[in-house]
Amino acid sequence: MNLAQKSVICLLALATLPCLAQTAASPAQASPAPNHPKPPAPLPPSPFNRTTILLDPAHGGADSGSRISDTLLEKDITLSLAFKLRSLLAARGFTVVMTRDSDAATQADTPTPLTLDDRAGIANRAHPAACLLLHATAAGRGVHLYRSELDPIPYEVNETPWLTAQAAWVTQSQNLQKQLGMALTRAHVPLVFSRASVRPVDSFACPALVVELAPKGSDNSTLTDDGYQQQVARAIAAALVFWQNQAQPPQRLPAVQTPASAPETGAQP
Amino acid sequence: MISRHQRIVFWSLVGCILAMGALLFGERQHARDRIVALADATPLDAPYSTTESVTLDLANDADGSITATTRPIALPGEVTARARALLEHLIAEYSLPGSTHPLQSGAAVDDVFLLPLPLVGHSANTSALIASTDPNALQPQTPGGELAVINLRSTFVNAHPSGVEVESLTLLSIIGTLHTNLPQIEQIRFLVDGQPRETLAGHADLLRTYPSRDTTVQAQPTTEP
Repeated sequence: MNLAQKSVICLLALATLPCLAQTAASPAQASPAPNHPKPPAPLPPSPFNRTTILLDPAHGGADSGSRISDTLLEKDITLSLAFKLRSLLAARGFTVVMTRDSDAATQADTPTPLTLDDRAGIANRAHPAACLLLHATAAGRGVHLYRSELDPIPYEVNETPWLTAQAAWVTQSQNLQKQLGMALTRAHVPLVFSRASVRPVDSFACPALVVELAPKGSDNSTLTDDGYQQQVARAIAAALVFWQNQAQPPQRLPAVQTPASAPETGAQP
Repeated sequence: MISRHQRIVFWSLVGCILAMGALLFGERQHARDRIVALADATPLDAPYSTTESVTLDLANDADGSITATTRPIALPGEVTARARALLEHLIAEYSLPGSTHPLQSGAAVDDVFLLPLPLVGHSANTSALIASTDPNALQPQTPGGELAVINLRSTFVNAHPSGVEVESLTLLSIIGTLHTNLPQIEQIRFLVDGQPRETLAGHADLLRTYPSRDTTVQAQPTTEP
């Protein structure tokens, strides 16, 4: 084979390369891949203050909550427990945000009473490491810990519906529930933990629990016992010290998504 | 020898007796027909079947648990009447002395309505049934799924003990009992005297739609060691 023939063969080989490339690409063009939308890039996580705790002493003002006895109202017990918790948490270096620190829960500088949604708004603006909704009851014994009934979702979607804001945080709330449960068990406080649909917990964008204080035994007056409240508050404060390093805010996704990539909504319609 | 005159009187008296008997018999029949016609034949109670074994999900305030318990109860066959009777029996259990979840006695449930899912309505101009275009509208999980709307009485709700645990247990007990006995119910909503109400007694949410599910494993009591 002389040089001229070799040159012709090389030129032909070079000329066929684009054709081969086109042939290799053609099957993909003939049967295009399913149109899987590219998952949206996650957004920067929401601000998360690991040293901030929100306490929501439930009820207040005209809303007295449950009537434990003729002279004992739920709103007074929740406020008393919140004060004890605030002191213990502040001593451990936490910043404590309270939805009310007097009998009536009112909006700033106005006598307008706080709605349940206002309380959730205060919590969501503070971006705390934990939100504790404090309640009290004469039924049962010890402390009842409840997390939201919403089904968990793995991502926090930007522009989350108000009534299901907690869905992305349910897993964190569950971990916080375990942490508090262990601390209360170590403190020899009878414990019940479960799930409940109590407004406004489903609208909280933070690890959130309903903490319901019940009598220590069969005597309802133990609800006002300083020693009992202090015992419970100490256990909770100790658990939150560990919790502040374990809490992880969920990943955030942009709001505009295709149905295929959108995470499932919570149980609440 | 009986005179002819006496025989006539005798047979006349026999004739009168027979006529009087026939008249009395006829009047008696008329009176009975009148009473039957005036009687109210409206069905006052649902037709009950024989006693059957029914599972009630009973709550316990002490440890926050809900336990499936079997009771022999006579229930009506019609589904909505059956659901209402089930709930009345459930609440009646809680009003017994020594109940682990004490509630006030008395009628608690006014009505139970079962609506097939998805919910449909009439369009403005036609009589055709149309499904909602709202993506958040309630949808069935399986064909034939139903939404149960439970209309509670305000007397029951106003007297209900207040507290997160006690209120949640009442709702979970109702939901679990319906789920066990009427599996076609997929979603449950609550009304009070026909109106929506925010909470049962200040805590448990009554505005949301609850999925029907097994609630017996809901509580995970952990007591001190």
